Amino acid sequence: MDIQKLGYDSINLGHGSGGLMTRDLLDNMIFNTFSNPFLNQKHDGSIVKFNNPIAISTDSFVVSPIFFKGGNIGELAVNGTVNDVAMCGAIPKYLSLAFIIEEGLKINEFRDILNSIKKAADTSQVQIITGDTKVVERGKGDKIFINTTGFGEVHPKANISTDNIKVGDKIILNGQIAQHGMAIMSQRQGLEFESDIISDTTNLNFLIKDLLDRFGKDIHFFRDPTRGGLSSVLSEIATDINNGILIFENKLPIEKQVAAACEILGLDPLYVANEGVFLTIVEASIADEVVDLMRKDDKGKNAVCIGEITKDHSGKVVMNSHIGGKRIVSPLMGEQLPRIC
Amino acid sequence: MLKTYKILISGQVQGVGFRPYVFGLANSYNLTGTVSNNEEGVIVYATGNTSNIFSFYNDLIENPPKVSKIQTHTISETEIKEFLDFQIIPSQKEGKLNLQLTPDFAICDDCKQEISDSDNRRFQYPFTTCVNCGPRWAITKTFPFERAHTNMLDFNMCGTCQEEYSNISNRRFHSQTNSCPNCGIQIHLTDAEGVSLNIPKASIFKEVAALIKKGHSIAIKNTGGYLLCCDASNKEAIKTLRLKKNRPNKPLAILYPSLNLLKDHFEITGYQERALTSSESPIVIIPKGNYKGYLMVDDLAPNLNQIGVMLPYSGILQLLANELERPIVATSGNVHGSPIIASAEVAKTELNRIADYFLHHNLEIAHSQDDSVIKFSPEFDHKVIFRRSRGLAPNFFGSVISDETILAMGSHLKSTIAFLPNDYLYISQYLGNLDNFEVYNRFTETVSKFIDLFEQNPTVILTDAHPSYHSSQYGKEFAKNKRIKQYDIQHHKAHFASVLGEHNLFESDAPILGVVWDGTGYGDDGQIWGGEFFRYQLNKMERIAHFEYFDWLAADKMSKEPRLSLFSLADEEIEGHCSKQFSKEEWKVYKTLKKKNTLKTSSVGRLFDAVASLLNICHNNTYEGEAAILLENYVTDYSIENCKLYCSALEHSQIPTKTLLMNLYEDFKRGASKSDVIVNFIYTLANLVFQVADLQNLNHIALSGGVFQNTMLIDMLKNIAKNDYTLYFNCNLSPNDENISHGQMMYYLNIKQS
Ligand SMILES: [Fe+3]
Ligand SMILES: [Mg+2]
Ligand SMILES: [Zn+2]
Ligand SMILES: [Zn+2]
Repeated sequence: MDIQKLGYDSINLGHGSGGLMTRDLLDNMIFNTFSNPFLNQKHDGSIVKFNNPIAISTDSFVVSPIFFKGGNIGELAVNGTVNDVAMCGAIPKYLSLAFIIEEGLKINEFRDILNSIKKAADTSQVQIITGDTKVVERGKGDKIFINTTGFGEVHPKANISTDNIKVGDKIILNGQIAQHGMAIMSQRQGLEFESDIISDTTNLNFLIKDLLDRFGKDIHFFRDPTRGGLSSVLSEIATDINNGILIFENKLPIEKQVAAACEILGLDPLYVANEGVFLTIVEASIADEVVDLMRKDDKGKNAVCIGEITKDHSGKVVMNSHIGGKRIVSPLMGEQLPRIC
Repeated sequence: MLKTYKILISGQVQGVGFRPYVFGLANSYNLTGTVSNNEEGVIVYATGNTSNIFSFYNDLIENPPKVSKIQTHTISETEIKEFLDFQIIPSQKEGKLNLQLTPDFAICDDCKQEISDSDNRRFQYPFTTCVNCGPRWAITKTFPFERAHTNMLDFNMCGTCQEEYSNISNRRFHSQTNSCPNCGIQIHLTDAEGVSLNIPKASIFKEVAALIKKGHSIAIKNTGGYLLCCDASNKEAIKTLRLKKNRPNKPLAILYPSLNLLKDHFEITGYQERALTSSESPIVIIPKGNYKGYLMVDDLAPNLNQIGVMLPYSGILQLLANELERPIVATSGNVHGSPIIASAEVAKTELNRIADYFLHHNLEIAHSQDDSVIKFSPEFDHKVIFRRSRGLAPNFFGSVISDETILAMGSHLKSTIAFLPNDYLYISQYLGNLDNFEVYNRFTETVSKFIDLFEQNPTVILTDAHPSYHSSQYGKEFAKNKRIKQYDIQHHKAHFASVLGEHNLFESDAPILGVVWDGTGYGDDGQIWGGEFFRYQLNKMERIAHFEYFDWLAADKMSKEPRLSLFSLADEEIEGHCSKQFSKEEWKVYKTLKKKNTLKTSSVGRLFDAVASLLNICHNNTYEGEAAILLENYVTDYSIENCKLYCSALEHSQIPTKTLLMNLYEDFKRGASKSDVIVNFIYTLANLVFQVADLQNLNHIALSGGVFQNTMLIDMLKNIAKNDYTLYFNCNLSPNDENISHGQMMYYLNIKQS
């Protein structure tokens, strides 16, 4: 796509009018980028065929800054939804893509976002089959908001549900926590750490597929602990299953600089947002094999068993602390407020 | 003419030998009748001539048994009843329980004498008790206090003990905890692996003493839970214990074998002596300035000019003291941040990494308790409770009437609960920091035990307004499940209500200034409060002023690192002074953070931290409150005449926090000694109280919050107040967050919700 040809360098209200300018933007930027048989029909929607039950997940992406170390809002919008579909035990196939753009967004930036979306979609092997673009007045948005909805076919061997989780099951993480949240936060606040913290946003669907291919129903649950961090997801699960969760602080995988940054800021990494991280709850007997399989994949090279489901302390997450003693891990309530007197 | 009168007495009157005492007294006045316990307390029917009965009544009220505390008493004539003699009749349970719980009592002198006398049948028996002494709350399962309702039920009295129990003239008449070596509680000594040392009973304490003298540490099951003990004069032993307990600097309490030796080593005041020898027998924090003994006082209380001491309050500790004749370290048997351990099973698995040997016994503890801790201010001997537990908990002497059954969930870090199941308000012992899972369990178990004990389900739940206190979350869930009402009460308003409640000030006509200073609390405006002024009048409480806000940085880290409080309050110049406390990376990050930060605080606790860091006294706490404690301890002497102010209250009663710190720094830079700077700082804080009082035209002042554990500040306040102001402090409760549950209750019952 050639910006010179467009004759403007930022998005304006006219691009949302539905008239010629809209057409121009769509043709020259969006359809150009994502060209595929579904989109090329330029219809109001697309007709697709599935052979198995389908998993559908939708998510809206609002992030500031829209470009951050390790990625931008575009690939986040693809990976986030692809991963959510995968967490249902499904193989993501199609995405819808909707933009709400604030007047004034630079065409350059928009182009970079579109390219990232394209690249991320290709990497996860999903096709963008329908979309929408709206423009809002300056001040009524924050550069760009993106909504994606993902559609995937449920893996034939999958049976993912909290109902399957039982006492003794092991909890396994594929990778290091708190990286994405700390990357965004440090950039938003302009905090400079010794080395840069880089978002780990990535697609997890192939690793999920490999796990299901190999272990099928012995995999009881998947979940990606994005907003609210690991603590919130674990607390939710503990409440849902009416059993307890025990995790081990010294097992939690965390990159050194991320840990240092959390320490400096007084933040508990359990409450920091993640991308590119998922947890799986599996039959105890296969836990080691699951870890082994994950570690062979780049996206699971830091895989580790962090804990288990317990009969005790039903509804609560408890962490064996490395200084001795056990700590209660409660879900995030708003921001992390000081409690120590 | 013969008449019959009914006498009702309530208060701490059960499990304290009240009925036998009444029996003896009634006989000496030649009265007939009965005495019994009921749900209200003690009830007496006395028949005789009126003047005799009234003399008896007055005598009883004025000279009640030693460890009892009478709260209310009434006498009224009833229809004439004829009795053959005076009798004690068994307790009755009618309707709702309405009496006080009884705390544990330290071993009395008579019992001490018996266990130390080789001719006595209780020689060397560590669980020797009588109506005047022994565990009560520690072993209470249900109500009222009868043997069958306690863990003493596991032991059957032998014939001799039974005789004592039934003999009206015996000190053990109706003593529910009565037992002897033949029928009582067994002790045994094991190594860390649990292997019994097979020491004959008679020489166990000799052996324990020998092990301690050799430098070993021993976990001793006492009446409130396990204690970890080692020789207080052995540097190595102390070092090892500190290392294994992961407790590098926090002061350790010392158990002295006798008052005499304690007095040889320290100069103590009459107040301190009375507290040490009282039936509550707490740890008393005393100055160690003129120390004359041989202990490693600097290892026991590093960088402090004070130390916590106590005397043997149980048979076990007394027998050990008899053999050892030297002071030992006696600290709560727990693992970093977990509650004091009370069960042998847990002790065996948790304390075996710390202790070399165990002294166990087979009396089950129903309510584990730490030792209570108190301190007297140096000048006015004002008593401050630092930890309210064994001997003081669970009862609080206040009677409160409400139709509702109220349960207050308290705070988070120094957790307690308060319960109002009848006309008495019960406040639990100190439970600990709820972040810790075992403390949290102890907290929820205490809630269940209180509810079961009184057979009353709460109808109202009160919680702190802080959204992530575990006590608040638990309380909200509890209320939701039981479908009962639940209210949030702001932390500092609860502190203020607590002092108002302790002094019955809610009905006061005069308006009252509330001064609540502490470390943190969640404010009504979403900020972190901690330097607050309130006005109370006619059931209305409002915040009228506060310390000017400064940045709250880095969540809970700021409470642990005084250097961050200093950085937050620092202007450019002070920043220059404190930058060396940070790494380059930290400095860059914190500078940026301070520019963009939105969370603010008025915390006086953090101001103390900032001053400690500014004076290079403490930049990072190794235990909670360390910086403030070190500050107070830094000062050895001062005269209030030479003090000067670092700032004054502004016209709207606001306090210019940063100006205070800047002027303090100027003074320090010009060469004022650290000690003088600290004294001026405390003097300034004390004066600010009265400046605000004057600006607001108030002369009744109630003060609460953790900052008022500072006894120098209390003395300053009392010095300045003279007769112009009336000051009220927490007296039966600690000023720290232990009083929040009580304050929540008081606030709910007395403050009009707007
Ligand atoms: Fe407080
Ligand atoms: Mg989603
Ligand atoms: Zn006694
Ligand atoms: Zn006996």
